Amino acid sequence: MLEKAKVSLFLAARSISRGNKGITIFTIFVLTLIFVQLILFSSILAGVTVKFNELMVDYQTGNLVIEPEDEKRYIENTAALQKKIESLPEVLGTSARLKASGSFRYKEKDAGGTIYGIDPNDETFVTGLEGAMMSGEFLSKPDRGEVILGREVSGGFGALMDSKSLGGVEIGDTVEVTIQGNTKEFRVKGIYSTLFFLADSGAYISRADMEEMLGVRDGDLAHEISIKTTADTDEFEFRIKLLSLGIKENIRTWQEFAGILRLIQDVLGIVRNIMSAIGLLIAFVIIFVVIYVNIVNKKRQIGVQKAIGIEQNVIIASFVLQAMLYAGCGVIFGYLLMRYGIIPYTVVHPIRAPLGDVSLGFDQLEAINRAVLLFLASVVASVIPAYKLANKDLLELIWEK
Amino acid sequence: MENHTRKEGGKEAEKLTKNDSFIIEGIDIVRTFKMGEVEVRALRGVPVKIRRGEFVAIMGPSGSGKTTLLNQLGLLDTPNSGKIIINGMDTSGMSEKEKGKFRLHNLGYVFQDYALLPELNAIENVYLSLMMQGKSKKEYESSASDILNAVGLGDRLYQLPSKMSGGQQQRVSVARALAHKPLILFADEPCANLDSAASKQVLDLFKKFNENDGQTIVMVTHEDWHLEYVDRVINLMDGMLVEKNDVK
Repeated sequence: MLEKAKVSLFLAARSISRGNKGITIFTIFVLTLIFVQLILFSSILAGVTVKFNELMVDYQTGNLVIEPEDEKRYIENTAALQKKIESLPEVLGTSARLKASGSFRYKEKDAGGTIYGIDPNDETFVTGLEGAMMSGEFLSKPDRGEVILGREVSGGFGALMDSKSLGGVEIGDTVEVTIQGNTKEFRVKGIYSTLFFLADSGAYISRADMEEMLGVRDGDLAHEISIKTTADTDEFEFRIKLLSLGIKENIRTWQEFAGILRLIQDVLGIVRNIMSAIGLLIAFVIIFVVIYVNIVNKKRQIGVQKAIGIEQNVIIASFVLQAMLYAGCGVIFGYLLMRYGIIPYTVVHPIRAPLGDVSLGFDQLEAINRAVLLFLASVVASVIPAYKLANKDLLELIWEK
Repeated sequence: MENHTRKEGGKEAEKLTKNDSFIIEGIDIVRTFKMGEVEVRALRGVPVKIRRGEFVAIMGPSGSGKTTLLNQLGLLDTPNSGKIIINGMDTSGMSEKEKGKFRLHNLGYVFQDYALLPELNAIENVYLSLMMQGKSKKEYESSASDILNAVGLGDRLYQLPSKMSGGQQQRVSVARALAHKPLILFADEPCANLDSAASKQVLDLFKKFNENDGQTIVMVTHEDWHLEYVDRVINLMDGMLVEKNDVK
C-alpha cells in the first residue's frame, strides 16, 4: 500500500516539476481565481453586514438601549439613571429620548416616521447624527420649534423612497408635525443622511418640544436611554453588569433591534450559496477539462505504465494527487490574495455602496469551507477522467492516435 | 554489474516451475479484431514454443501478425482463444490485475519507439518498476544504476529522454526492461527507429544478456541481418506459421 502511494506521489511530483510549466501555472491561476470568486461574495456579505451593524449602532440604537419596565410607558428618574450608567468606565455617553410615531405635512404632501425628542448635547455622545447633516445644522439645546429631518422624510439627497417623502423640503421651510393628534409647525433646521434607511426615516426635535406635544409634565421621563460604550466592550457582558447595578428596566443590546438586518443578511446568504454552487460547478468543469486534456496528452504514457506493470489505481492516484496539489496551491494563493491583498486594499480604499463605504470582511470559517469544497471538486474532477482513461485497453492506450 | 539471472517476483511467481523445458508455450493462439463491420483474423491458431534462454525472432511481412503474436505472448493483449503458458503457468485465466502484476515481476518490454516516460530521467525510468515492486530506495537506485552502466549509459543516469539520441533512449528502454531481471524480454522492432550503428549496439546488448545471463528474448524484426543474433526464427504469414520452428 505504502509503496503504491510512493509511486503515485513520485509520478505526480515528476509530472508537475518536469511537465509543462505553462499548464501548471495556468491551472493554478484559474483555481486561484475560482477560490477568490468562491469567497468574494461571502466577504462582500461580511463587509455589508459589518456596515449595517455599524450604521445601526452609530445612528440609531447605540450599543445598548434601556427601555421602560414591562407595563410602564416611561423610564422614570432618567437623570439619576443616566448619571449612574455614565459613571461606568465602559460608557462614552447616554441619551434619554422621548419618541413617538408622527406625521409630517409640507405643501400638501404627507410623510410618516418616528420622531425623537432629544437633548442634543447628550445625543452627540451617542450617535453620529451631528456629523451626518447634509444640509443645515444639528439641533442645539435651547432650540424650540425646530426640527431636523432624515432624507427619507425630507426627500432629495438620494433618498431611497423619494416618492413617499415630503418631496424636497429645504432648510428654513416650515413643516407641520402631528404627534398623537397634536399638530405644531416646525422650522426645518437641518437634513441628515446616515445612508441607513431606518435612521433616515425619522426626525429629531428638542425634548422640550416633545414633552409639550406628548403632554408630559415631568421632565425626568424617557421612552428609551441609548448607551454608547467603548469599542472593546462586549455588549452582552455589559448588559449583565448593568443588571447587577440593580437597573430594573429592560436592557437590550443593539442586536435585538437588528431583525430586519438579519432578514436582509439571510436573503443575501441564499444568494451567496447559489453563487458558491455555480462557482463550484465552474471549478469542477475547469478542473475536469484541464485534467482531461492533461491525461489525454499522456494516454500513451499511461499505456506504457500499465504495460510495465504499474497498477491502474496507482496511475489514477498520481493524477488525483496532481489535481489536489493544483487545488491546494489555488486555495493558498487565493487565500493570500484575499487576506493580504484584496481585503486590506478595500480597507484603505473602501467600495462606495448605497449604504456608505464598505470594506470587505473575511470569514475564516467560510474560507475553510470553500477550500474543502474546492478540494473535493478537484478530486472528483480528476478521478473521473483518470479512471475513464486508465481503464481503457492497454494496446488502445499505446497505439490509438 | 551484478549477474542478471532470471528470478521470480510476486506470489504467482512462486508457483512457477523453473525446470520446464519451454518457458513459453502458446497453444493455437487465435486473435481477431473488429474493424467496423469487418473482422480481421490477425492470428489463426498459432502454436509457439520457446525454450528458456532462447533468443527468438518473429518475422514476416507487414500484416502477418508479428506484433499481435508478441503482444499475446507478452500478456499485453488477450487472445480470443488458445492458451499461453509461461514458465508452467497457464495465463488464460488471469484477470487484468493479475496480468499486470505478472508483467511487473516476470516480463520486460522494449518498444519500437522507446516509450520512455518523458518526465522521468534515465535512472527514474529504469527504477520505476522496481519502486512499484516495493524495493527500498537503496535497492532500486543501485539496481538501476548497475543496469544503466551495463548498457553503457553510466554517465547519463540523470539525463531526460529529450536530451538523448534515439540509440541512447533505446538502451535506457533495454535497461528498464531488464532492471527487474525478467523471465522473458519482449522487443517489438527495437531497431526500427535506429540507424545501423545504434541498432547494432542494441542487438549486441541483447546478445550479451542472452549469452551471459541466459536471458530469454523474443524479438519482432523485419531485418534479415538481425538473424545473425538470434537462435531461431518464427515465421508468420497471414496470421499463421509458415514453416516448422527450427530449434538450433
